[in-house]
Amino acid sequence: MKNLVIRICGTAGEGVISSGDIFALAVARSEYYVTTFRSFPSEIRGQGQCSFQLKISEEKAFTTGLRPNVLIGLNEQAIADNIHLLRSGGILIMDSDEVQNTYEESSGVVKYRIPITTIAKETASLIAKNMVAIGVMAGLVPQLGLKEQLKKDIQKRYSKKGQEVIDSNIRAFEEGYKYATEELKREDNLASISMEKSGQKMIMSGNEAIALASIVAGCRFYAGYPITPATEIMEWLALEMPKVNGIMLQCEDEIAAIAAAIGASYGGAKAMTATSGPGLSLMSEALGLASMAELPLVIVDVQRGGPSTGLPTKTEQSDLNMAIHGTHGEAPKIVIAPMNVEDCFYQTINAFNFAEKYQTPVILLSDAAIGQRKECVDKIDIEKIKIENRLKYNKEEDKGVYVRYKNTFNGVSPISSPGDKGGAYVSTGLEHTEFCRPSSAPEVHKMMTEKRFKKLETAAQDFIPAKTYGPDDAKIGIITWGGTTGAVLESVDMARKKGYKIQALYPRTIYPLPDQWLNKFLEGKEIVMVAEANYTAQLLHTLVYRLNKINKDIKLFPILKYNGEPFSAREVFDKVDTIIREQTLRYTIFEPEKDESYKF
Amino acid sequence: MTYTTKDYKSSTKPSWCPGCGDYAVLTALLSTMSDLQLDPDDTTIVSGIGCSSRFPFFTSTYGFHSIHGRALPVAIGLNASSPGHNVITVGGDGDGFSIGGNHFIHASRKNPDITYIVMDNEIYALTKGQNSPTSHDTVITKVNPYQAVEERINPIMMALSFETSFIARGFSGDMAQLKDIIRQAMDHKGFSFVHVLSPCVQYNNKITFESIKEHIQPVPKEHDVTDRISGMKLVFEQGTYYTGVIYKKERPTLEEKLDEVKSKSNKKDSEDEQIQEFIKQFM
Repeated sequence: MKNLVIRICGTAGEGVISSGDIFALAVARSEYYVTTFRSFPSEIRGQGQCSFQLKISEEKAFTTGLRPNVLIGLNEQAIADNIHLLRSGGILIMDSDEVQNTYEESSGVVKYRIPITTIAKETASLIAKNMVAIGVMAGLVPQLGLKEQLKKDIQKRYSKKGQEVIDSNIRAFEEGYKYATEELKREDNLASISMEKSGQKMIMSGNEAIALASIVAGCRFYAGYPITPATEIMEWLALEMPKVNGIMLQCEDEIAAIAAAIGASYGGAKAMTATSGPGLSLMSEALGLASMAELPLVIVDVQRGGPSTGLPTKTEQSDLNMAIHGTHGEAPKIVIAPMNVEDCFYQTINAFNFAEKYQTPVILLSDAAIGQRKECVDKIDIEKIKIENRLKYNKEEDKGVYVRYKNTFNGVSPISSPGDKGGAYVSTGLEHTEFCRPSSAPEVHKMMTEKRFKKLETAAQDFIPAKTYGPDDAKIGIITWGGTTGAVLESVDMARKKGYKIQALYPRTIYPLPDQWLNKFLEGKEIVMVAEANYTAQLLHTLVYRLNKINKDIKLFPILKYNGEPFSAREVFDKVDTIIREQTLRYTIFEPEKDESYKF
Repeated sequence: MTYTTKDYKSSTKPSWCPGCGDYAVLTALLSTMSDLQLDPDDTTIVSGIGCSSRFPFFTSTYGFHSIHGRALPVAIGLNASSPGHNVITVGGDGDGFSIGGNHFIHASRKNPDITYIVMDNEIYALTKGQNSPTSHDTVITKVNPYQAVEERINPIMMALSFETSFIARGFSGDMAQLKDIIRQAMDHKGFSFVHVLSPCVQYNNKITFESIKEHIQPVPKEHDVTDRISGMKLVFEQGTYYTGVIYKKERPTLEEKLDEVKSKSNKKDSEDEQIQEFIKQFM
């Protein structure tokens, strides 16, 4: 086997998430790919159940997969909630001190009862249970050689808590490891796992990737208001922004945050704010101001379940409508949705570049699942990243009176910033002439609306074309975006193995979405499904008119999930399979391919 | 070169009604800018929405006519990211104390080096006369045709309780004092709030130049401007509006605090090196 999926579950406060984080870090530092998924309640401690799933693989994986090979349950409820996920032939590890049930009815599963609580108490303390658990996890696959790296990472994690805490945690970890390697009578097949190391890599969460990328892109002003699940962006920047002489400003609300970012952008700084759905709702008026005043701005929305306060710690892709259409009036903006953690980094760079080049707000639609999970990222080479800056007003070149909103051939007009000699102008949210004087004249509003939208047409030429996955001659197409992309791409592979020929289209720039991307994709397609994590099929609805215009016979189907959890590849595939069967159409069945590694 | 008042004027004629109190504020501010010889290219006037918020269009400096109530956070973003740039914020009572009221509290906490001039006409004038947060209960408008149902707020009291670092009240009918107050506010290092009684000649006939004159008195000479409590006592006095500087106490500005933060961070010698260090953090 070339990969391994482990899931650890327990009650909030038992250290499930931090043990998963430490384990994932050690895996990445041991030069294997790792991707993770976490689920936790919004309460800090108490009744809620937490789970952490990670996939260790030789090659980069799209998702953590749905079904773990190994399930570790720290209590009865944790196992009850998760045992249905375990693969047949998988391993169930129970804390025998906490779990009475022996799960006799679960056949085809290897069961190990390990006194995790007792080991923790004897070697350290009750709270070291999670250290025992990761010792067991590492001990199940000693051939991966994770032990020493894990010890280093535990040491680092607890370095601020003193030597005593470090020592007791390491003791607990080592006892867990020893139990798994020496005392456990192994009946499983994990010995068959062997993976090649694939070189040095980075590991980070989507939120960290966005924060890091913002600084690389040249952002030196961040204003924000704390909100789950986006706060890590603000916290990381609070610590690191001052080191590049930048500013992280905590504001009184999201309205003030976006307003401050707009003020900073007017001042010439590259500025960003990050929030989640409720915050984006509050920001929408000011977003229109940035669009009207033609100021570069990046707004990150780490989407969570909605509406209203909704599900603060759960994921959903339900803010697309608001991102595209949310502001009153017609306010051009660009909407980008990263597909995974690594993409968070590069799409944030794109977001700043587009914002600067086209003097417009850019919304980056991440989600709770991507934002919170840690994942491997290939080492980032700063030298290869191209940074764009706004077209500045130049007093020498632009002789005469400065025309801030000059209606140029591509809609982009030179911009000055306070302090620039001869560049003084009044930025305004009122409709204005090219000379930035308020005007409600019909010809002015018509011309300036066209000017602002012309920038989007220009920008669309600049986008990296949407990528496809799967054969061009497939008659079945599946369009997806953002956090659902990984599951869709993996489901295309599953479908291929089952004999279905399917092609996926996964744009990262969602708005504007150029016609040519859709035209090319729709060639030869009979069925197109759109997969996304919301109830109202938001992307499908923005595309349905255009897709039907290109091909009126095309059959369109939504593939939706809206329970607060991300799609798994299996879930996407099952829905695809059902749609195809119900359609009773003829498809080209071809021999399943064994392996076709994908490059993106 | 030397800047005269004319150099701060734009070619756009003010859109205010003849007799509006805001003309006096414009004159006083332009004259103060000329006294201070501010470079128009190094000065930005930020406003929100309302009659008085049209202000930036009438000056030749940089300007940002933003959205209703949000002038202060826009100004703070500009101020924080453009050290040394002069930022002046202007607006009305609805913009500053109703829709934007929250930002006034937090601007006071942050203490940016910004002068904030509120032209208070005790009415919503741009929307043609509705009750504002400073309207007297005797003011009957189309939105309170029977009577007022809310109490009015006291902007100076608010500022005193938020510990705004400079608080003054002026009157559009007293140019000499208004200039003096604005000058002191601009000289003040930190967030300076100037509350100007600025009558509306069109929609609020309860508050006129004449009626204000009857109720104002200069702040007593013996008043200690560093004492917030005696400031509050002045404000509590019924029937009298004290004009002049009511409170003034310098403390570190937002810019200074942000500089402290930067110096406390353990940074590398160069930005490139620092970014490489960030990359290493994730390996």
